[in-house]
Amino acid sequence: MKEKTLLKGNIAIAKAALNCGCSCYFGYPITPQTEIGEYLSFEMQKNNLAYVCAESEIGAINMALGAASVGAKVMTSSSSCAVSLMQETLSYACSDELPIVLVNVMRAGPGQGYIFPSQGDYNQTTIGGGNGDYHIISLSPSSVQECVDMTYKAFYLAQKYKNPTILLVDGLLGQTAEPCILFDNPYKEIDNSSWALTGAKNRPSRKIHSLEPSQNKLNKHILNLKNKYDLIEKNETDYEKYMCDDAEIILTAFGSLARAVKAVVNSFREKGLKAGLFRPKTLYPFPYDALKKIASQAKAIIDIEMNLGQMLRDVKLGVLSDSKVYFIGKPTGNWLKKEEIIDSVENILKENYANI
Amino acid sequence: MIKNFIISGSGGQGILSIGTVLANIFMLNDLFVSYCPCYGAEMRGGAVNCEINMSNEELLSLQNEKADYVIALNQTSLDKFINKVKKNGTIIVNSSLAKIEKTRNDIKYIFAPLTQEALKLGNIKIANSIALGILSKITDNFSIEKVKKAYEKILKNKTELIQKNIEAYLFGYNYLQERIQ
Amino acid sequence: MQIFSTPKSIKKDSSFSFCPGCDHGIAVKLVAQIIDEMNLQDKTIAIASSGCSVTLYNFLDVDCIESPHGRACAVATGVKRAHKANGKEMFVFTYQGDGDFASIGLSESLHSALRGENITAICINNTNYGMTGGQLGPTTVLGQITTTSPMGRNIEYHGFPIKTAEHVALCEGSAFSARVALYDIKNIINAKKQIKKAFECQLKGYGFSFVEILSNCPTNWKLSPLDSHKKIENELSKIYPIKVFKDITND
Repeated sequence: MKEKTLLKGNIAIAKAALNCGCSCYFGYPITPQTEIGEYLSFEMQKNNLAYVCAESEIGAINMALGAASVGAKVMTSSSSCAVSLMQETLSYACSDELPIVLVNVMRAGPGQGYIFPSQGDYNQTTIGGGNGDYHIISLSPSSVQECVDMTYKAFYLAQKYKNPTILLVDGLLGQTAEPCILFDNPYKEIDNSSWALTGAKNRPSRKIHSLEPSQNKLNKHILNLKNKYDLIEKNETDYEKYMCDDAEIILTAFGSLARAVKAVVNSFREKGLKAGLFRPKTLYPFPYDALKKIASQAKAIIDIEMNLGQMLRDVKLGVLSDSKVYFIGKPTGNWLKKEEIIDSVENILKENYANI
Repeated sequence: MIKNFIISGSGGQGILSIGTVLANIFMLNDLFVSYCPCYGAEMRGGAVNCEINMSNEELLSLQNEKADYVIALNQTSLDKFINKVKKNGTIIVNSSLAKIEKTRNDIKYIFAPLTQEALKLGNIKIANSIALGILSKITDNFSIEKVKKAYEKILKNKTELIQKNIEAYLFGYNYLQERIQ
Repeated sequence: MQIFSTPKSIKKDSSFSFCPGCDHGIAVKLVAQIIDEMNLQDKTIAIASSGCSVTLYNFLDVDCIESPHGRACAVATGVKRAHKANGKEMFVFTYQGDGDFASIGLSESLHSALRGENITAICINNTNYGMTGGQLGPTTVLGQITTTSPMGRNIEYHGFPIKTAEHVALCEGSAFSARVALYDIKNIINAKKQIKKAFECQLKGYGFSFVEILSNCPTNWKLSPLDSHKKIENELSKIYPIKVFKDITND
């Protein structure tokens, strides 16, 4: 058993990336994720790995595209408004089927916003700003330990499905230090020798491209991608449910905010109110079916986010009825406190459910 | 059992250092802990603070409205955080750099001339560790081995500096008792 | 008797899809010949870009990735560095148009040159956006009529064009920067010589090497291939001199 270390989320991600063989990092500074690049700049140079202080986030994500095309494990990290700059290449990487790990440590938006913590990039991550039929696998850690676990998982899923993967981290979590254990990477290595650009030696040359002037071929390509996304949805959907089995009130939340919500559930249970927490760990694929099952027996579903209701849309799609779905949230700043959430939940219940 | 701490002061007073030392002490004692440095508009400029939360079960709230214990190493941070102290909570004030004045009567004040005491010990920079010693005395009784180990994690192999800080920590730890006697 | 044949590095089952008389075909052929002569086919990764140059991977028989518009030098940086991190020296070059290299991708291009990224960039300068039908681009010369400068490029209204090879030469990280043309045999021979030099710079690890190929665009210029070459010889090469601007191997 490895020993516990007190690590900031950002540093934990950087260490986990190195641990699982990330050999290339390209990035551009932006608060609150800069420590990732700072930490890796030393470690990667020391180990003769690839590290470029890119000229822009556009440069960084395209360097990542190039590195991914040769089969390297590559990561870039950024934040919110700068992740906006990367959307084009994420769409390319989906069509090219290239594994890139992108860490987004969120700050407040829209536009430049500020470095305050926020969860405002749910839509950017799960819906995206790129063009075409594509999806990006998205993992949402709620603790520093999960930052480690999900960094490993992000690399694994990216390689397994040849698709970009986003680790969506709350700014608060990137900056917060908690004890965590840097386990060895638990995932197996994925063989990429069948497609990586390593030079056409003793084999035919390979081409990686998204342009496809043949309508039939392009249709076929997009349908193949769709089949892959179906498989990802079937195999990789992940969530946490806490006290949901007999719950009359389901609270939904993602990221580190879900922990405060868990405390709310505990408080309600002490008061005799049957509350439960449902937390998606994968934002894409979103656990619609699991939520639907849990929600069918609940009287109210209350979604709580540090934004103005971005996951709410998916929650409603899962519940398939918005008559009993409510929302609590605020755009940015100090994380919603347990007490604030309790007050808001009680208000919703009082207004809508005389008998709970 | 959950306890919340805020450590505050100005840049150069080692606020974040003793914050991480305290967080490490909790970790080494197998407690759940989170440490968050000041985060937001205050990042640039003189004021520095950090929030530490400790619990003997899974820690659920990373950010809290108020703290059980606040350390304020100067007047600005005293003014800023005095209302963040929970009712019946405690504030440790560096009276070398802040007025001895009680604006609340529902909390406990500990005034200590930390900067002067640190100078007497030979290093102005260890006022923070004296404060940490005082805090330890009134919160938990941690073994000095673990405290030392926590300092080693932060100060790595700066042996002399570690020793100086431990000395300051112990001075702080015994400070109240000596004053009471 | 000399027997002409298709270079080994040109795909056997392919035929160029460029417009008749376009210099792209000559440029790709020269690149393929040099890859053959320098025995680089199995060590090469080519970066195609957006615009007429995008279909490179349909002709060149080497590993190839298409980059988003303008980002070829950034993609090349990633390819080169990732292989290096893996202990492998690969030969990496981009094949871009002037819109790709010097307009939308100017940042990626010049920063790669400034870093001294050990890659080669080949830029086809045909003074307009060819694939989209001939619009004003970064290299459109003053007075030139395009579909978006119907009254001709004008300093007050459109601003100045960029002299790419000269700019690259100014970057401390660049090892080689030249402008060549393909309008006659003499120039084609020179072009081949300079591209070869650029490739050699990379193989020796000297840093960023660059060749701007002043090319025609008969379709959008609405000229015959012959007249378009005359235009390059008589007009464009006066504005964009055919010259080696930097060659650290000569210093």
